[in-house]
Amino acid sequence: MTTVRAVGWLVVLAGLLVLPLVLPSFLVVVMTEIAIVGLFATAFNLLMGFGGMVSFGHAAYFALGAYAAALLVKQAAWPMVLGLAVAPFAAAAGALFFGFFIVRLTHTYFAMLSLAFAQIVFTVVFKWKALTGGDDGILNVWPPEALKSPRAYCYFTFAVAGLAILALHAIVDSPFGMALRAIRENPRRARFIGVNVRRHQLFAFVLSGFFSGLAGGLFAFFNGSVFPDFAYLNKSFEPLVVALLGGIQSFFGPLAGALGFKILETVIARQWPVYWPLFLGTAVVVVVIALPQGFVGLLQRRAWRTPTAR
Amino acid sequence: MDLLTSLFPWITNGPLIVVQVMSGLSVAMFLFLVSVGMSLIFGVTRIVNLAHGSFYMVGAYLLVTLVETLPQHPLMFWVALGLAPIGVGLLGGVIEVTLLRRIYHREPLLQLTLTFGLILVIGTAVLLVWGPDNKSVARPDALAGSVRIFGQPFPSYYLVVLALAPAVAVALWIIFYRTRWGMLIRAATVDREMLGALGVDVATLYTQVFVFGSWLAGFAGALSAPTVAVALGMDGDVLTTAFVVVVIGGLGSFAGSFISALLVGELQSFGILVFPAVSIVLLFAIMAVVLIVRPWGLLGRPEE
Repeated sequence: MTTVRAVGWLVVLAGLLVLPLVLPSFLVVVMTEIAIVGLFATAFNLLMGFGGMVSFGHAAYFALGAYAAALLVKQAAWPMVLGLAVAPFAAAAGALFFGFFIVRLTHTYFAMLSLAFAQIVFTVVFKWKALTGGDDGILNVWPPEALKSPRAYCYFTFAVAGLAILALHAIVDSPFGMALRAIRENPRRARFIGVNVRRHQLFAFVLSGFFSGLAGGLFAFFNGSVFPDFAYLNKSFEPLVVALLGGIQSFFGPLAGALGFKILETVIARQWPVYWPLFLGTAVVVVVIALPQGFVGLLQRRAWRTPTAR
Repeated sequence: MDLLTSLFPWITNGPLIVVQVMSGLSVAMFLFLVSVGMSLIFGVTRIVNLAHGSFYMVGAYLLVTLVETLPQHPLMFWVALGLAPIGVGLLGGVIEVTLLRRIYHREPLLQLTLTFGLILVIGTAVLLVWGPDNKSVARPDALAGSVRIFGQPFPSYYLVVLALAPAVAVALWIIFYRTRWGMLIRAATVDREMLGALGVDVATLYTQVFVFGSWLAGFAGALSAPTVAVALGMDGDVLTTAFVVVVIGGLGSFAGSFISALLVGELQSFGILVFPAVSIVLLFAIMAVVLIVRPWGLLGRPEE
């Protein structure tokens, strides 16, 4: 079993290295976006799948990362890599501040307060024209020459997002990750065995915000511009849909979801952009009603138990 | 006092303050109608209907279409105002019967996600039916102008809104506290299982409540249509504000929604005078404080 797994991973890795070389550049761009969305959704799923906390405002941290990177590069003329390096910390700072309040609540109230905070971030970004450019966003946020080609930026994104996802995987498998799952299953029992529930939840929230901010930073340079929409409802919805499509019970579910989601988006949104939200909304309704395990969950019902069984 | 007057020059302007209070009250009226429906639906079905703002938007668009298609007559506005919310109520009924009914027993996460998905579906449907351009609808002729209150102009249409506010609140109070149906609703918010065990057809009650809540949202949307630009972004704006109202007042609390709507309405009205750019942030800050001190809201009940 382990050798099969190892071979599987080698094939995936080789594919990731070779594909950007052979694919046409528009597909390379799609692959880059898949990696970014996959990171965002995986970071989100640290909360939802492993912590049992549903944030409806994760766009806030994505946007904080994107704006931090864009502002540092544009206004302070920092090199791109430094700007990108600060992005997750800016998002984590925001997540720490908002999360402090959000983790005090449970379920519905948790989701609502996270949504409200994201709405605040959106409003501030939208209204603070002097700093953020308001509706016009910040334009021409490009990486340096060396990373400017789609292929180069794709490899760069793979490297950064890949490391981040490995880090998230390590977090999920760490004692901290186990405690987080215990809290998800039964918060009261977790407290009785000495787990500081609120502190663990806050830490998970900050970590999730951190990696969401990194995804935001990567996206800023990928997109070449940042807009207030990055903090809007639809963006908060994205990781949720992606994770749900892929299956929230497995660590790699959101990545698979990102792949499926972006392929669908590439096919449908290019052809009929107006119908895309309709399709997306319908897909969500269908998944919720008919396939709560997600499409990946449907294919491999038992696979998600592997990490817990070890 | 000198500092105060220099910071807020309007503070000695009594008439302006009166008008500002009144416009805050009319904002509160819309907020109350939307949030009491949202709160009611939550109280009974335990679902936070994120598509509630979308129902409001559909109500406003339906009014625009009805006013355009109905024959020209001074009274037709009121006919349209009566019909548009019924359309929204029907829409809510269809959604409840076909979708929500299947997920009452599931985790709150999936319920929230489903209604979130409905925002997208309804939003696109509205875009496809009514197009991307903003719509506007004229106020009925008799109410097109404004009256002077202590010398300050005040739109007459808002006077109707202000008169309707207490009427609707009293009607809702009578429904909730003086009818058998209202009693069942209140019973359902306390213990749904027990109500079902006592032989009440809970499934039908859920549908009725959802239709009624949607109707309220549609009514608020239709009533607001002549006062705003009817646009695609309405759903999100209304949702977030209604949501703040409901959270401050307490999910599932009728009186809470009323008090909180007044508070938020006045805050918005005066917030614009005091901190023009950040009034919405102020709103969310207050909500955050309430959530931290009393997560279940001013008049709500703690979560089990």
